[in-house]
Amino acid sequence: MDQFLQQLLNGITLGSLYALIAVGYTVVYGIVQLINFAHGEVFMIGAFGSLATWTIFFKGQLGLWVLPFMIVGAVLAAVVVALILERVAYRPLRHAPRLAPLITAIGISVFLQEAVRLFYPGAKSALPFPQIDMVTGPAFQAGPVTVRRSAVFVIGALVVCAILLWFFINRTKMGRGMLAVSQDPDTARLMGVNVDRIIAVAFAIGAALAGVAGVAQGLQNSNIDFFIGFMAGLKAFTAAVLGGIGNIYGAVVGGLVLGVVEAMAVQFIPGTFGGSPWKDVWAFVLLIVVLVFRPQGLMGARVVDRA
Amino acid sequence: MTTSQTTAAVSNPRPSSQWLITLVGVALLIIGCFLSWSYVPALLGNLSVNFFPGAIQIFMIIVGVLGLFFLLLRKGLFPGAHKLLDSARGLRALSVTAAAFMVLVVIVIGLQAPGLANADPGVFVTLVGALAMVAGSFRMPSDPTVDPITVHLPSWVEILVIVAMLTVVLFGAAYALGQEDGTVFSLFLLFLAGLVVALARAGLFSWFGVIAQRNRRVIMLGAFAVAFLFPFTQNGSDANMSIATQVLIFATTALGLNIVVGLAGLLDLGYIAFLGAGAYVSAMMSHSAFANIGWKPPFLVVVIISAIVSSALGLIIGSPTLRVSGDYLAIVTLAFGEIFRLTVNNLDGNNGPDLTNGPNGIPGIPELEIGSFNFGDTHNVLGIPLGRFANYYFLLLVVAAIIITVFTRLNNSRIGRGWVAIREDEKAAEAMGVNVFGLKLFAFAGGAFLAGMAGSIKAHQDVSVTPDQYIFLESAFLLAAIVLGGMGTVAGVLVGATVLKLLPEKLRFVADYRLLTFGLLLVLMMRFRPEGLVPSQRRALEFHEDDADLAERIEDAHIEAVTPMEGRA
Amino acid sequence: MQQRSIVRLGVPLAVAALALSACGSRDAGTTSTAGSGTKTVKIGVIAPLSGGLSALGLGIKNSVDLAIKQANETNAVPGWKFELAAQDDEAKAEVGKNAATKLSSDDAVLGVVGTLNSSVAQQTMPVLAAANIAQVSPANTNPTLTQGADAAAKKRPYTNYFRTCTTDAVQGPFAAQYLLGAGIKSVATIHDKKTYGQGLVDAFTVEFKKGGGTVVAAETIGENDKDFSAVISKIKPNSPAAIYYGGEYPQAGPLSQQMKSQGLSVPLMGGDGIYDPKYVELAGATANGDLSTSVGAPTESTEAGRKFLDQYKAAGFAEPAAAYGGYAYDAAKAIIEAAKTALKDAKDVKSARAAELTALGKVSFDGVTGKVAFDEFGDTTSKILTVYKVDGGKWIASKTDTFK
Repeated sequence: MDQFLQQLLNGITLGSLYALIAVGYTVVYGIVQLINFAHGEVFMIGAFGSLATWTIFFKGQLGLWVLPFMIVGAVLAAVVVALILERVAYRPLRHAPRLAPLITAIGISVFLQEAVRLFYPGAKSALPFPQIDMVTGPAFQAGPVTVRRSAVFVIGALVVCAILLWFFINRTKMGRGMLAVSQDPDTARLMGVNVDRIIAVAFAIGAALAGVAGVAQGLQNSNIDFFIGFMAGLKAFTAAVLGGIGNIYGAVVGGLVLGVVEAMAVQFIPGTFGGSPWKDVWAFVLLIVVLVFRPQGLMGARVVDRA
Repeated sequence: MTTSQTTAAVSNPRPSSQWLITLVGVALLIIGCFLSWSYVPALLGNLSVNFFPGAIQIFMIIVGVLGLFFLLLRKGLFPGAHKLLDSARGLRALSVTAAAFMVLVVIVIGLQAPGLANADPGVFVTLVGALAMVAGSFRMPSDPTVDPITVHLPSWVEILVIVAMLTVVLFGAAYALGQEDGTVFSLFLLFLAGLVVALARAGLFSWFGVIAQRNRRVIMLGAFAVAFLFPFTQNGSDANMSIATQVLIFATTALGLNIVVGLAGLLDLGYIAFLGAGAYVSAMMSHSAFANIGWKPPFLVVVIISAIVSSALGLIIGSPTLRVSGDYLAIVTLAFGEIFRLTVNNLDGNNGPDLTNGPNGIPGIPELEIGSFNFGDTHNVLGIPLGRFANYYFLLLVVAAIIITVFTRLNNSRIGRGWVAIREDEKAAEAMGVNVFGLKLFAFAGGAFLAGMAGSIKAHQDVSVTPDQYIFLESAFLLAAIVLGGMGTVAGVLVGATVLKLLPEKLRFVADYRLLTFGLLLVLMMRFRPEGLVPSQRRALEFHEDDADLAERIEDAHIEAVTPMEGRA
Repeated sequence: MQQRSIVRLGVPLAVAALALSACGSRDAGTTSTAGSGTKTVKIGVIAPLSGGLSALGLGIKNSVDLAIKQANETNAVPGWKFELAAQDDEAKAEVGKNAATKLSSDDAVLGVVGTLNSSVAQQTMPVLAAANIAQVSPANTNPTLTQGADAAAKKRPYTNYFRTCTTDAVQGPFAAQYLLGAGIKSVATIHDKKTYGQGLVDAFTVEFKKGGGTVVAAETIGENDKDFSAVISKIKPNSPAAIYYGGEYPQAGPLSQQMKSQGLSVPLMGGDGIYDPKYVELAGATANGDLSTSVGAPTESTEAGRKFLDQYKAAGFAEPAAAYGGYAYDAAKAIIEAAKTALKDAKDVKSARAAELTALGKVSFDGVTGKVAFDEFGDTTSKILTVYKVDGGKWIASKTDTFK
């Protein structure tokens, strides 16, 4: 039981990270029906943005007060890159067939990974991420469960972001505009909603959360490299589909479920098919099973053929 | 400028000023190439000798000669031909190429010599010539051309043209592959691209396309002959043959994927797993010391088993298509691809049964031996040594031939039409009695079968199989090859696969930047030419060869509507 | 009339162009840049020059470069000039194979130093063997490379393959003896399933159990894993006194950091794959006390080693020599040493390759890392190893010994 609780916590921590990234996929998909495959790289850029902020302005400082600046740096980097992508690569292809943006996204992924690897100093191998004292110090014990400080940060970040997102969508004009566009872009346009702007905002929101996730990943794993975007992006996308792509809360639920499944698989699948190397397999198997038996995802509304 | 004036300009025997300027440009261009370009012999393959053009000077001479041909064409020197080709447009593209080429050469000399003090007058003579060509050709009026469809040449002329074209391709490819110097290779690419654009602008390719349509058999056989002859140009060297075999494996796999994506319209992001399954089955049944299956059947049996295992996986991956479609299907296939990679990465006895030797893969796979023919040995044919990779190359060529035949046959069959119907409108197809689920499954299984075949050879050619050869990026590359080349066409896929495999290998001198360039290329391609390099617009014409009017109308409409998803072979 | 004048102008121009470009031979006009009588022989390097392991790969490349420069300065083989031909393998087997193909089709290549990864070596060996080119690895520690897949019936798969470092078959047990000697009796093992990692852990486990220790948990991780919390949580209740990790520093560093931030504060021990400054950087402030074994005596602890490091520094390379610099230097020296006999009467490099292999088997000299000589499998005869400990953000040599 102790182990169960411990792994549940591990899973929720990992899942929170997935959820933060998954929101980006799902927001964009909900509005333009586009799989922004390069979103994982936006997350990676966020992580590097915060590292750069720290290296340039606060090198050597490990007090908690640095963290907000690092988050701002991450969010800025991620949002700027995402907006450029949207404007330069995706917008011209908005009415192209589905494959064109997908291939573009793959191209962008490779391009961004390589750009960071080549032009970020030292990024050819993994770079240590600053270990902010308050957030990465010794773990504390809550009954039988060891709680890492970074886990508190990751879960907290998800909660705060989810609340902010809820407010944004339900309580602001822009948010309601987003809902309108996702339901019917043509009518929304007729009603005076600036669809281009809404789409850009969707990209920006996803990127901002991905930036926060970048900081979270850095603190949690203590290092970042140019390739972290690929697996994280894939998992987050899985999470988004699991929850029902297009549904923001679905992405959160999907992320948490995926994280917990991975953690539990390491601990509780007996014999040689358990353990760390199989956890990704079980995550993907879960995805396929859900899609075959409940194609709209765990929380998705019934969608007819989004081909 | 009105048509009557244009016609007048062409028929006017008196050379116009722009014509003369261009001619002077061409003359300077060629003369400059016979002079030394630089004092530094180590640069660009030695351009320091007078009256002795080096490789890149010869490129420019070819440009000059072609320019001369266009100029003479304008004067009606080759009766008949001037109606087919728009020489002004060709000249413009040619002159821009020459100018860009020469500017680059000057920059290279300036940077690498280093300093422009090391440039000889020749380089400037040629540069001025190129600029004069630009100045002249851009003021030249376009010629009116007739639709190539209406022109009928004797069939032996057409066949001769095809043979000439394929010969150029063969030697061009051999030359490009032989190029070790990165800068020269890049300049060659620029030269080649300029030449192709110039000929395309002049309308040669639409004419050639019509000829190709009329002589499909000839061109297929010819292409195979060229591919078959290629190893003989290599003089036993393995360096290029190794790349050529990789290109072939990649191309055959991409052709298999083209059935799934291009014909049936099912997006598969995990296709590399089928190639991997074939390779792994073949490796496990080989005589490698690390192979864990006791049964070692002869290779031909192994090929069949690999293909069957692969297509069984295809059936499994295809089965969710009953309920899942569109983007969801794409992600299911992606997940399957990852599951495959992770699984072969795991099955080493620590995690699951010991089948694949985990992340180390199965090394030491022996060379293929069919009968007494050992693929590892060098064989001499007509005095030309053919090394290890050449042997595999020939075998793969046979496989490619099989796959292309299967592909074109399927494409023109009831099954192929069923796939196209599903691709266009699944509901409508179902209503018309097409067995949608069965055909989708068949597409997955069929594509996987072909990839499995290629994989079983790849295992031996590569000597070892490892999981990191079958990552998602490889699936993405395969898809990119199809989209880059032109979806649904055989030629397009072959071109796309060649470009994608060859460029990174040859661009090793930009070693670190090659993936970066690749990413950028994909983005630019999708932005500016999403229909691919060899779009399949001509299919409509196949059925209306004799009706030029209709053909034109269809072509116009088709060009407007053409998109990667709708293109077809 | 006008047309004819054009023909008169154009055709001769074209004919002249073709004629001029066709006649004669260009080679006559070129002058040889090399000095008279000096022939070029190339020593290849196949190592990861880009990617996650490039710190190690670049150190290898530079060290070979240094050895070559010195050989040319001292005119080690009269009449021959050595040249470096470095190829990137990106630590990937397939890329490595292409690199090997490229080197093997270059007739001037006599020997190759590399690879870093055993998995890449498995691919390069057959390619280079086909061309009879010697391969001397500074870093492959997998025993099967020299002794074949079957440990019971040792058989050398490729006679062109040598290495200057000791194997996992020695390193793992050495670590086990060290831990037992330090009074640690219960250990959890983790490895990354690769040839190197698993080989280390297997050899370690056998020796550790033999010495009376218990392995309380044996786990594996996937090669792209970044987050190890689940594995650590699984191991933690077994309360091991140390973790033995088989793998390389890009994963070992974060693993150590995450272990400790999750409250599992025991030392992590690994092989030479984690003996790198980058490990300490990645493992962070809590890395103190972590251990690694590495082959040979510490480079800076011996006279020859210090001399090498000074020369390396003086040569002004951008990257440090890293863990395998000394071995790479010795490997290149071994190739050059053998070349002294092989190239002496040879008329070209290609014909000297067979003689080079024979000569390599017989070399014996005092190198940077100790005595350089090869046994009948191509393995180094030196069995000196050192245990290093992280102390104050640096690897400090803690014990150097000959493995028994």
